Amino acid sequence: MEANEKTVVIRGLVKRFGNFTAVDHISFEVSKGEIFGFLGANGAGKTTAIRILCGLSVPTSGEGTVAGFSIKNQQESIKKHIGYMSQKFSLYSDLKVWENIELFGGIYGLSDKQIKEKISSMLKALSMEDARDMFVRDMPLGWKQKLAFSIAMVHDPQIVFLDEPTGGVDPVTRRNFWEMIYEAASRGVTVFVTTHYMDEAEYCDRVSIMVDGRIEALGSPSQLKMQYGAVNMDEVFTKIAGRPGKQQ
Amino acid sequence: MIAMWKYLLKKEFKQYLRDPGMPRMTLMFPFLIILVFPFAANMEVRNIKLAMVDTDHSEQSGLLMEKCASSGYFEIVDVTASPEKAQEMMDRGKIDAILTINAGFARMLEGSVPAEDAIPLGIKVNTVNGTRGSIGSQYLNACISSYIMSKKGGSIPGSAQIEVRETYLFNRFQDYKLFMIPALIVIAITMMCGFLPALNIVSEKEKGTIEQMNVTPVNKFAFIVCKMIPYVAVAFFMVFSCLLLAKIVFGYGCAGSLLDISIFTLAHIIVMASFGLLVSNYSENAQQAMFIIWFFSMVFMLISGIFTPVDSMPGWAKLVSYANPLTYYADAMRGIVLKGSSLADTWVDLVCLLGIGGLTTTWAVLSYHKTN
Repeated sequence: MEANEKTVVIRGLVKRFGNFTAVDHISFEVSKGEIFGFLGANGAGKTTAIRILCGLSVPTSGEGTVAGFSIKNQQESIKKHIGYMSQKFSLYSDLKVWENIELFGGIYGLSDKQIKEKISSMLKALSMEDARDMFVRDMPLGWKQKLAFSIAMVHDPQIVFLDEPTGGVDPVTRRNFWEMIYEAASRGVTVFVTTHYMDEAEYCDRVSIMVDGRIEALGSPSQLKMQYGAVNMDEVFTKIAGRPGKQQ
Repeated sequence: MIAMWKYLLKKEFKQYLRDPGMPRMTLMFPFLIILVFPFAANMEVRNIKLAMVDTDHSEQSGLLMEKCASSGYFEIVDVTASPEKAQEMMDRGKIDAILTINAGFARMLEGSVPAEDAIPLGIKVNTVNGTRGSIGSQYLNACISSYIMSKKGGSIPGSAQIEVRETYLFNRFQDYKLFMIPALIVIAITMMCGFLPALNIVSEKEKGTIEQMNVTPVNKFAFIVCKMIPYVAVAFFMVFSCLLLAKIVFGYGCAGSLLDISIFTLAHIIVMASFGLLVSNYSENAQQAMFIIWFFSMVFMLISGIFTPVDSMPGWAKLVSYANPLTYYADAMRGIVLKGSSLADTWVDLVCLLGIGGLTTTWAVLSYHKTN
């Protein structure tokens, strides 16, 4: 792992909505090929932070680069180099599996030939050759999530953002999903993932835990367990996020 | 970047054609517009329910009744000798008008009564529905006058001796259908290019697919234009299939040039598409969008001269109609289809339409953000 090459660098990031501060001065760095777990209770500000990193939202203040482009004014350049999969399933359900791959491939500027190759290689990797002409709406959730992840990677991005990718998915599919994540990371893709499953947090190289818009803890799972004297990540999370929060 | 357009267009056309309702609606609409709506959206007053109170009991009163019945405008519900009974029927809303023929009607026609005396006839009209009442009483008057004139061979006492001969230009047979068809096309195009794309975009918002698009390098201009193209194609299909159907079914051709119609249709599409985009920019879900659309479609249709003339509206309504794109498009469409107007006659409409379009497009583009 080339730990020196930073693909995400964030310094003092703040996002306010009126009087409410959703993200409160967070700073961190993520290296190439790292699996970075972004944890926090519901409403802690994870999704807001991810939306800023993906160029969907403009920060109120703070600096940062994603894939080498500024999060303040180079959003459209960032978008060419990242993949994004949201907690809400968002492929086109009235398009077939191959049509969704074709559409996103086309949008990311792949050539017709590249798209053709992507469709066959992707379906093969997912063992979905028979589902090629299936409408996405007819697929089971686990399949959909795996497909959405593959499509988020259709243009071989440097970084992929996964916002609760395994919500509502069965344990076997979740394991498969993490195998896909590891496979991507081994190819040098930075994986930025949020989750509520603490067993998944153990799989991450490093984990940050957000509470009320701030990063309260940041480190590898083993470091954090030691620091908080906990046996597993679940206990770490409960100790940090379970403390009485700041009063708004 | 050009390649991106191809894939976006493919997506939009596939989604349009796979929609359970859209393709069928597209094919049904021209038929509805030409074969169904013109008969329903009809301002002609027919089937006026009439009761006769006959106290003359003469041959003449019977003939007058027949004359009224055969005019085609009246439906004679009852003939009675009791005015109270007729009044009661009117109070219950069963009849629209009462024609009272008093004793002495036959004698008057024979000329045995001095001409200065009042005619022994009475008309009473139910004007709860004002239009129906006033037009009904005119028809009834005309019917009676012509009957009396035919019998006496002269003028009716008190009526002026002016003969008016009318010549109708453009819509020679005063067929309301011919007048309404261009306006109904206007309404269809408004729905097709303004409101349906708005709902389409809002539904992408609800499903979250638009967020997936916003996180890609897709060009927002390309995304919106590609979304519009299927609707534009369908709009042109509707305009021309409606005109063709009108020609086949009623024999009404378009008096003006089809190119002028296309120009106006395109201008109206620009206005409505940007308006639709505006609606979708400001609504988070389909319910919200529906309410906004419902509100504006009422204003657009009622304050545009489509159903009732703008000239007879109060001042404030006239002002609203000047800001209403449908006013100009409907005026131009009627001019071109009915009178054969050219751009030389309708350029004011075009300028106004493009002016509104420029405003709404600028606003819509400024308020649409991929990043916020």
